[in-house]
Amino acid sequence: MIVADRKPLVEIQEMVANSRKILVIGCKGCVTVCNVGGLKEAEILASSLRIGRNKNGKPMEIDETVLERQCDPEYIAQLKDKVGNYDAVISMACGVGPQFLSEAYPEQKFFPAVNTKFFGGAVQHGIWEERCAGCGTCVIHHYDGLCPIARCSKSLQHGPCGGSSKGKCEIANDVVCIWDLIVRKKMEQGRLDDLRLFQPAKDWRTARDGGPRRSIREELAS
Amino acid sequence: MTLAEKRKLGSVLVVGAGVAGIQASLDMANSGFYVHLVDRSPSVGGIMAQLDKTFPTNDCAMCVISPFLVEVGRHLNIHVIPCSELERLDGEKGDFKATIVNHPRYIDTEKCTGCGQCRQVCPVVAINEFNCGLDLRKATYIPYPQAVPLAYAIDRNACIGCGMCEKVCLAGAVTYDDKTKITELEVGSVILAPGGEMYDPKEADSWSYSHPNVVTSLEFERILSASGPYRGHLMRPYDREEPEKIAWLQCVGSRDINRAKNSHCSSVCCMYAIKQTMIAKEHSAHELDTAIFYMDMRTYGKDFDKYYSRAKEERGVRFIRSRVHSIEPVENGNLRLRYVKESGESVEEIFNMVVLSVGFKPSSGVETIAKKLGLTLNEQHFFRTGDIRPVATSRDGVYVCGVSHGPKDIPQSVMEASAAASVATSDLSSARWSATRTPQLPPETDFSKMVPRIGVFVCNCGINIGGVADVPAIREYAKTLPHVVHVEDNLFTCSQDTQERMKQVIREKNINRVVVASCSPRTHEPLFQETIREAGLNKYLFEMANIRDQNTWVHKNNPDLATAKAKDLVRMAVAKAEYIEPLHQVKLDVKPAVLIVGGGVAGMEAALGAAEQGFQAYLVEKTDTLGGMAHQLRKTWQGEDIPAYLERLIKDVTNHSKIQIFLNTKPVHFTGTIGSFTTTLNDIHTGNPNGIIEHGAAILATGGREYRPEGYQYGNRPDVMTHLDLDQAMKDTPATVMNADTIVFIQCVGSRNSDRPYCSRVCCTHTLKNAIELKKIKPGMNIFVMYRDVRSYGFRESLYQEARALGVHFIRFDPENPPQMNIAENNILTITVTDHILQRPIVISPDLVVLAAAVLPNENKELFELFKVPVNAEGFLVEAHAKLRPVDFGSEGLFLAGLAHYPKSIDESIAQARAAVSRAVTIVSKDGIMVGGVVAAVNPDRCAVCCTCVRACPYGIPFIGNEGHAVIQQAECHGCGVCVSECPGKAITLQHFTDQQLIAKTRALFYQPAMNE
Repeated sequence: MIVADRKPLVEIQEMVANSRKILVIGCKGCVTVCNVGGLKEAEILASSLRIGRNKNGKPMEIDETVLERQCDPEYIAQLKDKVGNYDAVISMACGVGPQFLSEAYPEQKFFPAVNTKFFGGAVQHGIWEERCAGCGTCVIHHYDGLCPIARCSKSLQHGPCGGSSKGKCEIANDVVCIWDLIVRKKMEQGRLDDLRLFQPAKDWRTARDGGPRRSIREELAS
Repeated sequence: MTLAEKRKLGSVLVVGAGVAGIQASLDMANSGFYVHLVDRSPSVGGIMAQLDKTFPTNDCAMCVISPFLVEVGRHLNIHVIPCSELERLDGEKGDFKATIVNHPRYIDTEKCTGCGQCRQVCPVVAINEFNCGLDLRKATYIPYPQAVPLAYAIDRNACIGCGMCEKVCLAGAVTYDDKTKITELEVGSVILAPGGEMYDPKEADSWSYSHPNVVTSLEFERILSASGPYRGHLMRPYDREEPEKIAWLQCVGSRDINRAKNSHCSSVCCMYAIKQTMIAKEHSAHELDTAIFYMDMRTYGKDFDKYYSRAKEERGVRFIRSRVHSIEPVENGNLRLRYVKESGESVEEIFNMVVLSVGFKPSSGVETIAKKLGLTLNEQHFFRTGDIRPVATSRDGVYVCGVSHGPKDIPQSVMEASAAASVATSDLSSARWSATRTPQLPPETDFSKMVPRIGVFVCNCGINIGGVADVPAIREYAKTLPHVVHVEDNLFTCSQDTQERMKQVIREKNINRVVVASCSPRTHEPLFQETIREAGLNKYLFEMANIRDQNTWVHKNNPDLATAKAKDLVRMAVAKAEYIEPLHQVKLDVKPAVLIVGGGVAGMEAALGAAEQGFQAYLVEKTDTLGGMAHQLRKTWQGEDIPAYLERLIKDVTNHSKIQIFLNTKPVHFTGTIGSFTTTLNDIHTGNPNGIIEHGAAILATGGREYRPEGYQYGNRPDVMTHLDLDQAMKDTPATVMNADTIVFIQCVGSRNSDRPYCSRVCCTHTLKNAIELKKIKPGMNIFVMYRDVRSYGFRESLYQEARALGVHFIRFDPENPPQMNIAENNILTITVTDHILQRPIVISPDLVVLAAAVLPNENKELFELFKVPVNAEGFLVEAHAKLRPVDFGSEGLFLAGLAHYPKSIDESIAQARAAVSRAVTIVSKDGIMVGGVVAAVNPDRCAVCCTCVRACPYGIPFIGNEGHAVIQQAECHGCGVCVSECPGKAITLQHFTDQQLIAKTRALFYQPAMNE
């Protein structure tokens, strides 16, 4: 899923400082699953903003709602009768949400309430980790299911580098050196020789380096 | 009359209402028997109620036991008879006549509302026994605030007869002319749980117990307790100074035949002393130095060794292996201890306070009861019991549990209590539900779609509330609140006559929501719910405002503010009441059968127990034989013959018409909820189905095994063996063993190390038993036992004494320096160990080395995942609560027994198996289980299948169903609300605590009339 963090309240307060009527829109997709932008979080944000404004003596009106997903126009369309009535609309979805909303309702001002971070999963309740960098050319099978593109700080295909120490990456001692794990796993499985196989330089054109991407499935699109 | 025609009674008698008596009573009452629960004291609870915290979880003892007290007090089928004793018992098993002496209490428990006015006016003070004499109470008293029954008593030894209490008692409950009465009860069987008492250190003067700063461990519990004499503030009695150094002396009155004449080990003191050091450190504002002086650290129970390590390594508790002879008072209230270090150096140390870790002795009632009932006592004057029938006394139909037949901790007492409950009722199963009472209730009126009509009852609680807050003003205020159609105030809302009046008013005024503003829902909500239910209201159409405990009791000095706060609380309760909905519990059918997985002793005892109770038992075993580990054992620790017992048990199980045995079988599919499970069984070899069975409960008794040691040349040499190898050799080729002139036993092989940080509990006893047997056959044999701590807990200590008397040599070693084995070139084996007295290595050339190998749980990952039961880091099954639910799993309807839970001796396995039966029978004996009420409900439309609830639930109940949303079974939900607060999609609601209801309540709290009007 796409993992995000809620922006600090102060930042959101500043975004909507001059608005008198606000709508907070949650998303039932990834951001609900990573406990950052579902209905509960939308209600909490709305309450926090309301309390803050009341405290400052500038009360406002604020409503909250949630969409099935903010990355499909059909769901965005459900807001048709609503969006025009607000000074500001805050999206709690990933970066896709505010953009789809802006595209559908050009007159309305939208604000993001979360910082979208990475593709990952919950390693335990409350802790999410990055697993995929969306590079466009998956090579995980070469590394026994451990992706060095997403999980090595340098995205090395032939690691580890000299910055690997006691299983940790030199950038911070709470970052695991994925290459340490890859080598260990290969050794345990008796497949260390796999790493002798030469990997050609990665073609980064399928990643962000090739510019904005799109995916066209002709059998669906036609 | 033939045996078959003999009368069987459906009621039972329990003597002693400590934690064991309470558990036995609840189990029996919940499985169809009427229980008379007799206790000498004015209230139930026993010693556990006096404890501050419980080991090894440091849970608050009162918080844990309190719900059990309330349930006993309110149970329709438990008749609590306080201030009473069993005088005689006539008749026989199935049909006894018990004569009970009821001592006068001088306050009628039926009329007393527990308001406490009598205590406030009582001019006499007496010693407060509940706080171990550390403070005073009045002559009119209640032992402790949570006491059940919640009624006062008058201590006539202290009472001066002034009559003040009678004058102020508005309930008219004081009866000065109360007299001793005799009552007779007809019961089918009797369970004795009179418990134990703590050793009184006054018996010997070397401990200087008369010094105020020398306290017993029970006194120290009260000192630590928030409800104790110092309100939980750690102070020493002499000058109320905060101590900086405290010493604990172990084995005071235990393992002592010199000063105390108690040869047994009291089993619990090592653990409670460790607990007290840790809790004392938490209570101390400054660095507190704590030292425990001990002989052997006996932390032999589940998670006990980890607790010990934590105290030593993380909390810096000092453990000093030395038995201190005497305590010398010095200046400033301090105390001097002289002790000898292990190095032989003599040390003097001054402490601010000394705690005597006093041991158990049998309650004074034990000897009296034994005389009156003709029961046999053991050498230590506890009830005598055997190993194979661990809860049976020498009289048929009379059973025991708890400390009265041997020192033990709370979970062991609770297990035995359940075991006694199951054994005591198995012969009475034909009389099940014959003596019990069921409430007769009118049908519920349907108020749906009707406007709320709220009735508010404001309680004066004598003068508890009315003496502080202005009750008439609260009453008049309540009349102004929305939807309120009736308001009245009562002297005691909980009194019998007010309850009747409440029912009448509800009917007359068509009230459909009731609010009571009085005391605590903890004690009184069930009572009021029953009352409104009797008036035809759903019991959830009720809301309570606690204007006593949380208001007038704490704001005595501010009557005006207390009145204002009471109005706030009433307004909030009324606001919530507007939105409360009736909740309907659904009755689920129960399959009267029990599945037992594992055909060892625990499994077979469980199957037999269930069958004897009249229920179908399905016994599933993965191998082709029944018996498990017990086939390899010879004798119990008391010398009872295990092979003969095992043969008889297998025969009984095989021949019982209600037991169906599945050998070579494993469960492969398991579904359902409490009362109605379905399990598919497959042949373990062919994988073909053996059957699909339906059952109301399941017991996992999947057993354990002996560790195969690595090291010590085990497996390479015939002269190195484990205990079970030795037992086998003694059976098959005794000569090979008896030829040996020197034998070394090495303890803790594979236990108490970093891989397995637990004590295997049985190995010390096993070693002692074998050493004694060998010594008796061949007195000239040299036997060396190399140990870390000898853990011969309870009466097993007698084995240790006997072994020493027979000349067995005990050499203690440190884990850092374990015995080393050397094989010389000529193949001669030697053991080198550092002797702790000589402080130098000694070399022994044994003919035989016996390794006391650890006990491991059997690995059953798939099976445990199938039943979704939790396993700890060592692979043992995890019970629902370490203290009071030792055989239950967190998931309802599933139970555990035997080695799969933790290493234990055969008598303990039998008791646990029988306990599991008792717990299972509380389910399968009912024709239906009521589910629902205050439980979580999922709205599938909102569910994002994020798994948050699955991860957050402390009981592991929610799962993502095939339907594509989270599912929370009503029958399994505990109603704690954790998932509700965590759900990011707001898909889960806790019924009776909905957002709408709680928001209405908080809005009412902040409602300011001035702004709105």
